[in-house]
Amino acid sequence: MVEVSVRKKLESFVLSVDFSIGEGEYLTVIGRSGAGKSTLAKVLSGVEGIDSGSIKLNGREISHLPPEKRRISYLPQGNSLFPHMTVLENLLFPLKVKGKKDFSGVNSIVEKFKIGRILDRRPREISGGEAQRASLARAILSEPEVIILDEPLNQLDFFTKTELIEELKKLKGNLTVIHITHDPLEAMELSDKVLLLEKGKVIFLGSWEELIERGKGELPERIRSFFPYR
Amino acid sequence: MRLFRLLIFLFSFLFFAFITVPVLNLFFVDKHSLIETLKDREVWGALLTTLKGATFSTVLGVLLGVPTAYFLSEFEFRGREFLESILNLPIVIPHVTVGIILLKLLNSKTLLGEFFSELGITFVDTIYGIVVAMCFVSISYVAVSSLLGFRSVDRNLIWSARSLGATPFQVFRYVVFPLTFPYILRGALLSFARAVSEVGALLIIAYYPITAPILMYERFEDYGLKAATPIALLVVLFSLFIFTFLLTLSSLLERKNG
Repeated sequence: MVEVSVRKKLESFVLSVDFSIGEGEYLTVIGRSGAGKSTLAKVLSGVEGIDSGSIKLNGREISHLPPEKRRISYLPQGNSLFPHMTVLENLLFPLKVKGKKDFSGVNSIVEKFKIGRILDRRPREISGGEAQRASLARAILSEPEVIILDEPLNQLDFFTKTELIEELKKLKGNLTVIHITHDPLEAMELSDKVLLLEKGKVIFLGSWEELIERGKGELPERIRSFFPYR
Repeated sequence: MRLFRLLIFLFSFLFFAFITVPVLNLFFVDKHSLIETLKDREVWGALLTTLKGATFSTVLGVLLGVPTAYFLSEFEFRGREFLESILNLPIVIPHVTVGIILLKLLNSKTLLGEFFSELGITFVDTIYGIVVAMCFVSISYVAVSSLLGFRSVDRNLIWSARSLGATPFQVFRYVVFPLTFPYILRGALLSFARAVSEVGALLIIAYYPITAPILMYERFEDYGLKAATPIALLVVLFSLFIFTFLLTLSSLLERKNG
């Protein structure tokens, strides 16, 4: 269970969000560019601070904790594999920094994400899709309770995107996922819950079906604008 | 279009000729005086002093410059830009002036000079004076290069590392430092090269123990061009050797980092 109630002053508006998601739920946060989605990701993962409020993870207050103690794994937008390490070294990084000597979990993760072929390659020698799969595998090896993905499918071609969506579906139920995107199709495909963010405020939180249901009635123009395909 | 290309080619050619012709010309040296120079103990002593001074000054520069660069890259505070401009200050001060500044501060009659002499360290005409003067004129290179290096590290990598469980020190050790190391090495290399070639500041604060460039200058003053040329050749060979070695090392590391 993640309970979020945070305020943070940004340049042109105040990020002010209150929501909660259950354990193992898959939440997609959608909104336009500049709506505060990435800031929300940074705030939750702890790489940026908040002005006030609280973030609770399974009842434990974590807003004062540094990122390494939150058990939230954050995949920032763009490539986040360490370029001077091989894919395998990248995968072992979370184990190394925590002083873990038991590498038995690595094999199954490597198989699950189909990255066995590229373990000895460096990030610049692999494709965008492979890099994202390796990043996901690495994030899972850090044994987080929550995983935050900031636009993980951005800049991938259609086929790779489809493949990765299948990988992401495998996370469902096992991990609490917060997936940030500006693409409603990704949200539709993956989410248990959708959160619409606009200028730092939550304007809708609920299931995709509820959103569609509301859309049949008087869907506010600002929500409608998220559906370019309708 | 053709003329444009031709001009670009011509200017590049002139550029390289401007640098290489004088250096290559140095190799046409009188054999006899070269052999004499190679036998001259004072020359080897001066080369050794130069090497010692430049090595210690580079180490000191790295010890002071790298943490400063990290501090400036990592923390936001008022006055940061001002401090950054100070990094380049030693480059703009004429070298003889550097000698005078250091002599004024560190001679045995000043408070600081007295403090150091209590510790058994004096600066006028000692290796310490050489190290301080060389360090002052060369420290900017390693500091500025390290700052560029630290700034070039993608924030995404730092954020990822933290959220994967790394403490700030672990992030520095496993991510930031390895990625910045080629920049630090390149900066240290430039600092070293700059230190080796120092004359102006040393003329004022530490003429002795004599370094190779000063010996060269002295021989030129006393015996003329013919006597100075073989030492110049040795200094150039010596610098080129170290420069090539370190540059190769730095490029290898950069390639490894992708």
